[in-house]
Amino acid sequence: MTIPDDFKTRLKIAKSKIKKDIDSDKEKRGSFMGNAFKLGTELVAAVAVGTIIGFILDNWFGTKPWLIIIFFFLGAAAGMLNVIRAANKMQKD
Amino acid sequence: MANNPMQQFTVNKIGPEIKIAGIDLSFTNASLFMLISASLILLLLFFGSKEKKIIPNKIQLIAELFYTFVAKMISDTAGSKAKPYFPFIFSLFMFVLFCNMVGMLPYSFTVTSHIIVTLIMALFIFIAVTIIGFLKHGFKYLSIFVPSGVPAILLPLITVIEIISYLSRPVSLSVRLFANMMAGHTMLKVFGGFVVSLGILGGWLPLSFSVALTGLEILVAFLQAYVFAILTCIYLNDALNLHH
Repeated sequence: MTIPDDFKTRLKIAKSKIKKDIDSDKEKRGSFMGNAFKLGTELVAAVAVGTIIGFILDNWFGTKPWLIIIFFFLGAAAGMLNVIRAANKMQKD
Repeated sequence: MANNPMQQFTVNKIGPEIKIAGIDLSFTNASLFMLISASLILLLLFFGSKEKKIIPNKIQLIAELFYTFVAKMISDTAGSKAKPYFPFIFSLFMFVLFCNMVGMLPYSFTVTSHIIVTLIMALFIFIAVTIIGFLKHGFKYLSIFVPSGVPAILLPLITVIEIISYLSRPVSLSVRLFANMMAGHTMLKVFGGFVVSLGILGGWLPLSFSVALTGLEILVAFLQAYVFAILTCIYLNDALNLHH
């Protein structure tokens, strides 16, 4: 059985329509809100981790309060790096 | 029910106290609700995969929806190499989602609103991803701490920053889920308290807020499970496909 030509073209159009729907869905779906929630904690968490590392090292070496200050700023830098990376990823998607 | 909006987060023992080697292993309401969520998932997937029809019934449709959703998420973010980790990410996503959703029922307990639960999950993911990275790439995995194209003077500084950024992953992963769930549930309780204290005349405004917030919380419950799972995929992707 051969497939008539007009059916073939209709199938093609329908298939391309489905593909378009999927593509536009991907852009919109959920990730927008998810990203918004992501950025805030990303920034804070790195600062917290940096400060904790500084605190531990300070106790270790007995250099209070210098390492905690240094690692606080390093943590802030890491947080900004995280946010910039996340934002870059968002733009690419 | 007490007026304190934080009352809902207290962990109570159910049944006798069990102590093994000095560690308190008593059955609590947290364990009960974890068990409920896990059994709901098992029931859904059991009945969903019982009759494998071409035209699915409702429960099979739901189970298949979850399956394709997670499968697509993994292939989109981590590629085909992450296929073997599908069972892990699927169970993680389902567990977080069901814990969040079960927590939305009145008089229930939200397991994910406790940082210890989310932190353990995040630490497990973090350690597992690190081990996977070292197994796949050996010591070359350490190169994720050394980005390419950085001048030699800045390299020690950047490496320290990268290490802090890497170590902050489990913290941000766990704090995000815990804070969202706890803040939302506290807010719901506070508005509920306003309804009672303002009485029949003034209580309508906070009541409408409460209804709107419940809708928002259901969205957040889903979204946080999604974010938790997708970040796991992203970390897994970093460990599997080393490119920096």
